Amino acid sequence: MFQLRWLWKNMKGSRAAYIAALFLSIACNVMYITSPYFQSKIIDTFISNDNALENLKNQKSLLWWLLVGMVGFTLLRTVLQYACNMYYETASQGMIYRVRTHLFRKIENQDMDFYDRYRTGDLMTRLTGDLDMVRHMVSWVIKGCVESIALFTASMVYFFSIDVRTAFCILAMTPAIFIVTRKFSKRAGPAYRKVREASSSLNTAAQENISGNRVVKAFAREDYEIEKFREKDEQYRTANIKAAKVWLRYQPMIDFAAGSLAVILLLAGGIFMIKQHLTMGQYVAISGLLWAVSNPMRNMGNYVNDFFRFMASAGKIIEIYYEAPKIIDRSDAKEDEERLKGDIEFKNVSYSIKGKPILKDLNFKINAGEHVVIMGATGSGKTSLINLIPRFYECTEGTVLVDGTDVRRHKLHTLRKNISIATQDVLLYSDTIDSNIAFGDSELEEEYVKRCAELAAASEFIEKLPMKYETIVGERGVGLSGGQKQRISLARALAVRPSVLILDDTTSAVDMETESFIQQSLDKKLDFPCTKIVIAQRISSSKNADKIIILEDGRISDIGTHEELIQREGYYRQIYELQSGINCAAEESGVRA
Amino acid sequence: MARNKYDVDEQLETPFDFGHLKRSFKYIKKYRGKMILSLAISILAAIAGLIGPLITQRALDVTIPKGRIAELVGLAALLLGCTLLSVVLGNIRSRIMTVVGQNIIFDIREDLFEHLQKLPFTYYDDRPHGKILIRVINYVNSVSDMLSNGIINFIMEILNMVFILIFMLIVDVRLTLVALSGLPLFMALMFAIKKHQRKAWQDVSNKSSNMNAYLQENIVGARITQVFTREEENAGIYDKLNTSYRKSWMKAVRLSNLVWPTTDNISTLVRAAMFAVGLLVLPAGTASLGTLAAMTGYASRFWQPIMSLSNILNNFINNIAYLERIFETLDEPVTVSDKEGAEDIGEISGQVSFNDVTFAYEEDNNVIEHVSFDVKAGESVALVGPTGAGKSTIVSLISRFYNLTKGSITVDGKDISEVTLKSLRSQMGIMLQDSFIFSGTILDNIRYGKLDAKDSEVVKAAKTVCADQFITLMEDGYETQVNERGSKLSGGEKQLISFARTLLSDPKILVLDEATSSIDAKTEALLQQGIAELLKGRTSFIIAHRLSTIRNCDRIMYIDEKGIAESGTHDELMEKKGAYYALYTSQSA
Repeated sequence: MFQLRWLWKNMKGSRAAYIAALFLSIACNVMYITSPYFQSKIIDTFISNDNALENLKNQKSLLWWLLVGMVGFTLLRTVLQYACNMYYETASQGMIYRVRTHLFRKIENQDMDFYDRYRTGDLMTRLTGDLDMVRHMVSWVIKGCVESIALFTASMVYFFSIDVRTAFCILAMTPAIFIVTRKFSKRAGPAYRKVREASSSLNTAAQENISGNRVVKAFAREDYEIEKFREKDEQYRTANIKAAKVWLRYQPMIDFAAGSLAVILLLAGGIFMIKQHLTMGQYVAISGLLWAVSNPMRNMGNYVNDFFRFMASAGKIIEIYYEAPKIIDRSDAKEDEERLKGDIEFKNVSYSIKGKPILKDLNFKINAGEHVVIMGATGSGKTSLINLIPRFYECTEGTVLVDGTDVRRHKLHTLRKNISIATQDVLLYSDTIDSNIAFGDSELEEEYVKRCAELAAASEFIEKLPMKYETIVGERGVGLSGGQKQRISLARALAVRPSVLILDDTTSAVDMETESFIQQSLDKKLDFPCTKIVIAQRISSSKNADKIIILEDGRISDIGTHEELIQREGYYRQIYELQSGINCAAEESGVRA
Repeated sequence: MARNKYDVDEQLETPFDFGHLKRSFKYIKKYRGKMILSLAISILAAIAGLIGPLITQRALDVTIPKGRIAELVGLAALLLGCTLLSVVLGNIRSRIMTVVGQNIIFDIREDLFEHLQKLPFTYYDDRPHGKILIRVINYVNSVSDMLSNGIINFIMEILNMVFILIFMLIVDVRLTLVALSGLPLFMALMFAIKKHQRKAWQDVSNKSSNMNAYLQENIVGARITQVFTREEENAGIYDKLNTSYRKSWMKAVRLSNLVWPTTDNISTLVRAAMFAVGLLVLPAGTASLGTLAAMTGYASRFWQPIMSLSNILNNFINNIAYLERIFETLDEPVTVSDKEGAEDIGEISGQVSFNDVTFAYEEDNNVIEHVSFDVKAGESVALVGPTGAGKSTIVSLISRFYNLTKGSITVDGKDISEVTLKSLRSQMGIMLQDSFIFSGTILDNIRYGKLDAKDSEVVKAAKTVCADQFITLMEDGYETQVNERGSKLSGGEKQLISFARTLLSDPKILVLDEATSSIDAKTEALLQQGIAELLKGRTSFIIAHRLSTIRNCDRIMYIDEKGIAESGTHDELMEKKGAYYALYTSQSA
C-alpha cells in the first residue's frame, strides 16, 4: 500500500481540508438517514394515525413546524454537502497540483538516459490519464469508501439497537463481500496494468504520428499509420473490455449478496415476527433503512474496482516521482563566481556507455577566449565530447576541468549557466521568435535580442516575416527553413552571453556566405569574452580557428592549427583535399583567373 | 496568421447546442441494436425490481399475521429469484454496454486519426502538438460513458418519470399539479446554471489543453531547458498554467456541484407543499388520507429520476466541452486532398514541369512568384541560393504538400492536383531536413520507406548510404531500439538512417533537401558515390549549400528573390559570372 502512503504524503497542505471533508461527509450521510424523520412523523401523526383528523385540528402548529423542519433540514444538509464536496475538490486539486508540479520538475531535471528510456507519449500518459486516476481516488473513491462505511455502520448500530437477532442475520452477509473482493483483487491488478500499458502505447503511437507528420506525408504512409494506430487502439479497447469483464465476473456476486439482504430480512424478520420476537414497527424501521446497508455493500465493489485502477496508475506515477538524476551537485561543490572565465581542460578523459568506449584518453587544453574546432567522422564522439563539459554526461575516467576546477566540483547551475550550446537538433518552442531567442534570459531587452539576431545573421529574414520578432514559430520551428532555425538557435545561444559557447554543427544548413558572416561575428563582434568550441564538417569553418582537434574513433588523432594540420598526413588533410577539390576543378576549367 | 501557442486558449466559435449530441448519434447508430437490447433488459430489470415490494407487502399483510411459515419461505424464495433475475439482467446489460462504449470511442478515435492524416502540414505547424494529442487520447476517452451508458440511463430515467407521473395522475390530479409546480422553478435554475457551466467546462478543456501542450514541449525539449538552465523558469510557467487549470476546474465544479443540492431542495419543498396543500388547503376529505400518503410516496419517487436526470445532464455538459473539440478537429478542412474523380497517376517516368507557379504560405506574402521550368525524366537538378529563398518550398510543392496560389505543376504531363496524392507521393522520395526517428528498431525505421522490404534489402540500403558501419557497431546492431529524441543517434547518423529509408523506397523522383548537411566530409565523399548510383534513372532535386556536392548535376538553378535567378549547368553558370559564380568563388576562396 505504498501508493496510499505516497498519496498521503502529497496531501500535505490539503490534509486539513481533506479531513474536514471526510468528517463532513460522515455527518451528511448520518443526516441523510435521519432526514425521513420529518416526513414519517407527519404521516404518522396526521395521515395514518387513527386520530389523524383530530391531530390536524389540535396540532396545526406542530404540522407547520414539521414542514419547516423538513425543508430546513434538507437545506442545511445540502449546504453542508456542498461545502463537503468543495472541500474534497479543493483537497484533491491541491494534491494533484502538488504532484503535477513535482513531476514536471522531475522530468525537466533528468539525465540524458532518462529520455532514452521514456517515450514522450508514455510520459504524457502518466501526467494526464494516470494523474486523473489519482485525482479520482482522492475526490471520489476514498470519499465513497468513507461514506459507505459510515452509512453502513450507522445503520447497523441502529439495527442492533432495534433487534439484535435480526441485525446479526443481516450482518452475516457481509463477509461474502470480503471473500469476493479478495478473489477479485488478485485478477484486477494485472488486468489494469495491461490497460495502462495499452494506453501508454496508444499515446505514443499518436504522439509520434503527430510529431512525424512530415515523414508520414513524404512517404505517403497514411494508410500504414492508420493501420498501426488502429492496432494500438484495438489493443487498448481489448484491454479495457477485458479488465471490465474481470470486474463484471465478480460484480454480480456482490450485487447478489447486497440484494439478498432483503430476502434475509423477509425470512428471518418474518419468522421472528411470527414467533413474537419482533414487532411490525421494528420490522418496518429496519426495512426502511435496509438500503443504507445494501447500497454501501454494492458500492464497495465499485470502489475496490477503481482502487485497482488507481494502484496501476499510481505505480506508474511513483516511478517517475522518485526517479533521481545521477548528475547532481556534489556535496563538495564550491561556490563559484557568477561568471566563469572559460578555460577548459581534458585530463585523461575517457567516456563509455555500458562498457562500450566512446571517448578514449583525451588530453587537451583550451584557453579562455580561444576558438576551437572539433572535427571527425560521424560517430567519432564529437557530440559526446562537448556533452562532457556542461556535465550532460559524466566521464568514466579522468577529469574535465573548467577554470582549473573539476566540473564535478562546480555547481551544476553555475556551470551550465556559463556554457551555452546551439544543438545539432534545433528545437524551438511554439512561441514568438523574440521569446525563443530570449529563452535563456527572458528578461532580455528587445534591443539585445535584435543584436543577437544580427550577430547570428538572422535579423534579415526575421524582419521580413509578417510579424517580425513577434511571429510565432511552430513547435520544432516548423515553417522555417533549416538554415533559419539554426540561426535562431545560434542567436538564442548568444543571448545568454556565455563564457563558453558550443556550436554543434550549427551552421550546416546555412549557406557559405552567411556562415562566414557568422564566423566574423563570433570572432570580432561579441561584447563579452567567450571561449568558442565548434563542431564542424567544413574546412571553411576551421580555417581561422586557434586550434583544431581531430577525433577519430574516440581518440584525438591530431591537434593543431589549419596551417599545421594541412602540412601533415592525416584526416584533416584528406578532408582539406576533398573539399578544396572545388578549387582544383575550378582551376582546371580555367574559370578562376 | 493565427498560430496558437501554449498559453493561448483556442477559441471555439460554434454556439452550444444539442447538435453535438445529435451528431454523435452517427457513432451510436451503429450499435443501435445492442443499445435497444440493453434498454429492453433495463426495463425488464426495473419490472423485476417492482415485484419485490409486492412480495413484501403480501408477507406483511397476510403471511406473517397468519403465521404461515411455509408460505413465508416460499415468498422469500420468490424474492430471491427476483433479486437473482435483476442482478443477472443488470450484469448482462453492463457486459453489452462496456463493449458498446469501447466500440464507440474506438470509432470516434479512428475517424479522428484518419482525419488527422489528411490534414495539411499547416495544421500541425499552427498549434502545439500536445493540443492535438490530448484530443485524440484523453478527450475521446472521456466521452465514452456519456455516449453509451449515459444515453441509456437518460432514457430509463425519462421512462421512470413518465410512469410515475401517470400513476400520480391516476391517483389525484390536483396533488400531481402541486408536485409538478416545482418543475418550472427547477428548469429556470438549471438553465441559469447551465449557461455558465458550459463556459466553465470549456475553460477547463482549454486550460488543460494549454497545460498539456506546454508539458509535451518540455518533455521534447528537456535538453534545451537544461542547456539554458531554464528549469526553474519553465517550472514557474508550468505552475502558472497548472494554477489556471486548477482555478478553472474549481470554478466549474462550484457550478456543477450546485445542481444536485438544488434538485434535492426543490424536491423536498414540493413534498412539503403537497402535505400543506393536501392537509390544510384542500377542503377536508376531498383528498383522502390514503391518497395523500400514496401521493407523497410517489412525489419522492417522481423527483428521484429528475435528480438522476440532472446528474446525467450535468455530465453531458462537462463532456460536451470535449466532444465539441473533437468535432472541431473533425471539421478542420482538408485543404490538400484528392479531387473528385482524381485518378491514379500510374507509373511515372519523372518528368516535372512548373507552369507559372506562384505560392504563398500566407496571403499576400508570396514565397515564389511566376516560376516556370521543365525537368526531363532522369535529369538531376540542383537548387542553390541563400537560406530562406524558397528552395525547400519549391521541392515541397512537387509532392503537393501545399496547394498552389497560381499556376500548375505537372508530372509526366499530368497536373498533380488532378491525381491521387497517394499515387503521386508514393513514387517520390523526399529526404527532409529534419530526420524524424520513430521509436522502434533501426531496422523498422529504415523499413518505413518500403514496408515489405526484406531484412537484406534494408541492410543493402544502409550499406549504400554508408550507415551499415555505425549500425553494426551499436549494441544490438539493426535491432537497437531508438527513439524520437533519444541520444543514441547523432545528427549525422539520423540523417544516414533517413537517407537509407528514402533509398529503400525506390522513388522515381528524388528530393534531397540538405540531406547530407550533418554528415562529416569523409563519409559524405563516400556517400557521393552511393548517391551517384542512386540518381541513375531518377529525376532528382538536390538542395545543398556545399556546392562541391552538386557540381555534377545536369542543371543548377539559383533561387533568389522569389524565383529562379539563374539556371544552367555548372560551366554555363560559371561562364555567366553571375550570382552562382559569386557564390562558388566565395566557397572556394
